[in-house]
Amino acid sequence: MLNEILSALVAVATLQNLLIMIAGIWGGVIVGAIPGMTGTMAVTLALPFTFYMDPVPSILLLVALYKGSTYGGSVSAILIKTPGTASAACTALDGYPLAQQGKAGKALNMALYSSVTGDFISNLSLIFFAAPLAVLALRIGPPEFFMLMLFALTTVAGVSGSSLLMGLVSAALGLLLATVGEDMYGSFRFAFTPDMQAGLSIAPVLIGLFALPELIKLVVMRASKQEEAATLGAQHVTRAEFMGSLKTILKGSVIGSVLGAIPGIGPSSAAFFSYGEAQRSSKNGGNFGKGELEGIAASESANNGACGATMIPLLALGVPGDVITGVMLGAFMIQGLTPGPLLFQTNIHEVYMLLIGMLVSSVLLFFAGKATMRMFAKVSHIPPTLLTPLVLLLCIFGIYSIASSPFDVAVLLVMGVVGFGMFLLNIPAAPFLIAFILGPMLEENLRRALAISRGEPSVLLSSPITWVFAALIVFVLILTVRREILKSKTERRVAQ
Amino acid sequence: MPKPVLRGLIIVAFFALTAFALVPAFVPRPAFIPGFAPPPDMWPRTVSLVGIALGALALLFAVFRPHPDEAPIETDGSSPARMAGRFAGLMLAFVLFLVAIPLLGFLVSTMMLTLCIVLMTGERGHRIWIALLAFGAPILLQLFFHSALGTQFPKGVLTKPFGF
Repeated sequence: MLNEILSALVAVATLQNLLIMIAGIWGGVIVGAIPGMTGTMAVTLALPFTFYMDPVPSILLLVALYKGSTYGGSVSAILIKTPGTASAACTALDGYPLAQQGKAGKALNMALYSSVTGDFISNLSLIFFAAPLAVLALRIGPPEFFMLMLFALTTVAGVSGSSLLMGLVSAALGLLLATVGEDMYGSFRFAFTPDMQAGLSIAPVLIGLFALPELIKLVVMRASKQEEAATLGAQHVTRAEFMGSLKTILKGSVIGSVLGAIPGIGPSSAAFFSYGEAQRSSKNGGNFGKGELEGIAASESANNGACGATMIPLLALGVPGDVITGVMLGAFMIQGLTPGPLLFQTNIHEVYMLLIGMLVSSVLLFFAGKATMRMFAKVSHIPPTLLTPLVLLLCIFGIYSIASSPFDVAVLLVMGVVGFGMFLLNIPAAPFLIAFILGPMLEENLRRALAISRGEPSVLLSSPITWVFAALIVFVLILTVRREILKSKTERRVAQ
Repeated sequence: MPKPVLRGLIIVAFFALTAFALVPAFVPRPAFIPGFAPPPDMWPRTVSLVGIALGALALLFAVFRPHPDEAPIETDGSSPARMAGRFAGLMLAFVLFLVAIPLLGFLVSTMMLTLCIVLMTGERGHRIWIALLAFGAPILLQLFFHSALGTQFPKGVLTKPFGF
């Protein structure tokens, strides 16, 4: 094992890999710092470029983009009170007041230190928990996998958007779209044109769904407003300030790692939970929301703390916990690697390379963020009316270059319109994407389970593991419905 | 019609169309299915029926348990008709782009689309940036993808004599 780790370390520590990770982190910070551009967009836009790379560097690039964008969201949250990503919403609560006090540099530095610490702890959790979980997962068969994926889908549907029902509708749409093309026994389904016989590629569907609706919104609604950006001002975080927030940073990192590992939760919820917990337990709780460094520490350590942990279910079970890991699942598959328990047997060298690369990228995040903080602060000023068409251009060229297929470009544009329609109808896009990616596996496992059991549906509840997942699904449904009822009652009370 | 009701109706209509029209027409059942394997239409039909049930639930909730108004979508204050016009214009631009690729080639088509989109966002200042974005960026991207990744971009029937 030690030999394998050492050989993976040597393989990762090449100039090419380091440059790829630095580029990924910078690219991620830039995209994350631009309001309206999300980490998902950063990862999806980079996806076409990874087709031409080796498997591990390509995944490292996407992971670096993910981490960079999660940290980058804090830049615009602090400077212009507009979180670049949803997970940085809590950072704006204390970051912007600090910027108004002339302490934007201090706030950005605290965000960076907290992000790096959270990220490092999260990566350690990935290293320690992914392999044991994969060993456990080796013992499960098609019925258990079907129930596991159904659980992941239910959780994502439950926490995305404002309604469980709409989340489930979105998942059903994604499952249906995934059936287009040839099925496991060679029948063509919904092949309206010859191009559709091979099914719809993952890249145009997910890029269209997540990158293009922003452009359509900008053209149709034209609701873009930009706040005045604050100057960086006071730069350094003193030792006393850092030590004063250390407990919160560590707590936030653990919260991020635990919540990130649960499919469907992701960095945003982790940041909100950590912020609330820090406000409750800190002696400076009363200053939260008025420019408290500890508030930034709580939010940033948790949102970056979730990044590595979201890879645990992906690597060990092959189940993506959120949209970004869904995109990464697509990237793995494009590279011929299938995440899941078998990955730890068939591609252990690549797994070690990935884990080591993720640890290295935490260190790179610190240096890359520190070196270019002033430059990144400027990207918040780019007008969306110029930036969004550039995103469209990148999407079109990127998608065409994957398979030299105008059909894929058409799918990209159509999915953009579908994404916009879902936005208008308040149907969340995340369950759609996860369902589209998991759909073929979900169906295959169901059909295999039914074939093995001679068509007996009770096979889906035939083992203790399937019972556990069924119970978890019911639990998530009850919890989500209860939350929605409480929210609805509160809204009605407020309305009265 | 309130938005939640419309949403429920659209969901039910879409899944019903899939279950009762598209699946029978576009998911053929093979003459022989090995062993106890479920037929290819089992899964899309099941998902569609679940979709109908979810849509019906959404419709019921919309009618019998109306929620407080959903948060309004942020706009520039234009009338719905004007926004519908912009949407139609954008769709036309997308369709014309796809139609133009075999005629004008990939490069010219993307230039036209980008210029069109920038102008449709309402951007009229930053003229040099608009020109660079609409004409410079596609050239740079085509050069990058062609030389670094070897992508062959389609040339247009009309523009082939000019080399693109």
